[in-house]
Amino acid sequence: MYKWLKPYVLLLPAMMVILGIFIFGLAMGLIQSFGYFPVVGLNKITLKYYREVLTDKTFLSSLGFSFYISLISSIMSVVIGVLLAYSIVQSESKKGIEKVIYKLPIIVPHAVAALLVYNILSQSGILARILYSFGIIGDQSEFPSLIFDKKGIGVILAYIWKAIPFTTMVVYTILSNVNDKLLEVALNLGADRRQVFWYVLLPLIMPSIFSCFIIIFAFSFGAFEVPYLLGPTSPKALPVKAYIEYNNPDLTHRPYSMVINMSLTFISVILVWLYHKSFKLISRYDG
Amino acid sequence: MKRMKRRELIFKVITYTLIFLLLFPLVVLVVWSFTKNWPWPNIIPREFGLRGIKYVFGPSSKSLKILLFSLWLSSVVTIVTLLISIPAAKALGVYDFKGRRIFKMLVLAPVIVPSVAVSMGIHVTFIRLGLANTFLGVVLVHLIPCIPYGIRILTNVFEIIGESMEMQARVLGANPVKAFLYITLPLISPGLVSAGSLIFIVSFSQYFLTFLIGGGKIITFPMLMFPYIQSGDRMMASMYSVVFIVSSLIFLVIMEKTVKTYYKAENYFYI
Repeated sequence: MYKWLKPYVLLLPAMMVILGIFIFGLAMGLIQSFGYFPVVGLNKITLKYYREVLTDKTFLSSLGFSFYISLISSIMSVVIGVLLAYSIVQSESKKGIEKVIYKLPIIVPHAVAALLVYNILSQSGILARILYSFGIIGDQSEFPSLIFDKKGIGVILAYIWKAIPFTTMVVYTILSNVNDKLLEVALNLGADRRQVFWYVLLPLIMPSIFSCFIIIFAFSFGAFEVPYLLGPTSPKALPVKAYIEYNNPDLTHRPYSMVINMSLTFISVILVWLYHKSFKLISRYDG
Repeated sequence: MKRMKRRELIFKVITYTLIFLLLFPLVVLVVWSFTKNWPWPNIIPREFGLRGIKYVFGPSSKSLKILLFSLWLSSVVTIVTLLISIPAAKALGVYDFKGRRIFKMLVLAPVIVPSVAVSMGIHVTFIRLGLANTFLGVVLVHLIPCIPYGIRILTNVFEIIGESMEMQARVLGANPVKAFLYITLPLISPGLVSAGSLIFIVSFSQYFLTFLIGGGKIITFPMLMFPYIQSGDRMMASMYSVVFIVSSLIFLVIMEKTVKTYYKAENYFYI
């Protein structure tokens, strides 16, 4: 029988969904971003919208803001996540509640993460109340505004809170499965603990750290909820800006929103490409 | 020896500090949800109350109905995603064929490409096909962020177990259906639990996709919760969040237990 066909047949249902919704949706967005949207009478293919959006100052500051938020969130999440995973492995507790309980944020949606940050960091939040009771601040208004702020601290903290357990889970799984013999050999050959971490463990977990970084970066770059709930009015994160343009009752305005969407997509795709490129470099360690 | 103890202590302190920082906000959330009166600058509420939970589960409230509907919708999404992911993961995990890398990249791409862009692009088409504002339309669009997780986890599982067991069953005379049901399915069941849990979580917490494609006609629990968070009504928002978290926990535990009673699945998170 046609044996070579088998994998393609098995992949068919998944590809129908991926091509029919995911790729098709992106293609529709791409076409509309070039100004082709016949439903509302836009029939000419033009680069006008790209020119306008890409030279617009508010777009550029939104782009910068989104990039900054994603970069800080993903770096911090990965660093703290690895630290937590390594600490759990090193503290070798037999009871093991800590091996489960840190996963809790994974099931909490991002909108709730935003609420948690709001509960704690707003000017009437818990942190302000604690500082007040210690006499560090004399009034609510003395508490720095950490949410809806231009530095995006609230947004970043919400992302970090969600992403640390994710990184920890991935890294912990690898660390706890590393063959002890590998470590004993290194120690026997005179490596100290620090060297074992930097030269044995880190290369082993590096590929996963990298993919966590990319996933967290891409998510915080393209997600709507957190910056919508906790972000400043200006600059707005790109997904929020795209949605506001999308919501414009004048439908001939759509291409603007699609240009923003395509910029989001384009940057994400570049990211994946970089990931594959650098992955090859990093995985040399594996050999 | 003493040095070792100190080292261990340092890592214990780091572990517990970080876990405390992760869990403390959730504690505050629970406290807020049972609060009646909590004025500035009190560190603990002046008065506790059950107004929140009474409102959510009260007879006049639609929240319970919407919660059950949400659980149902995400269960459908989970099952459909698994049904699509099992064959795809087998193809990617067991066989070597032309274009394997491209297929793998395509099915994993939705993790990286923002679903905001995909959903706004597909919206007009969904409206034209009559899929917008329908249950089916929302399920279909939820598949996009869920499929990468299903396929990724199950591909790892198939890479580990390979095809040899199923082949043995076939050689011994089992037909493909039997070989799948009695050999492959039990083998991949731990993977199914972790993939299913993750898919369920992704679908159940989805706000934007449901909001856009459901068009206000298909209302899920996160959509009910969102306005309270947005308006800063901390007590109600916290109560809805607690209900959300508790129900997904219960659901995940039930799912794991059900699968475990069928197959003695042990290894939890596979990734």
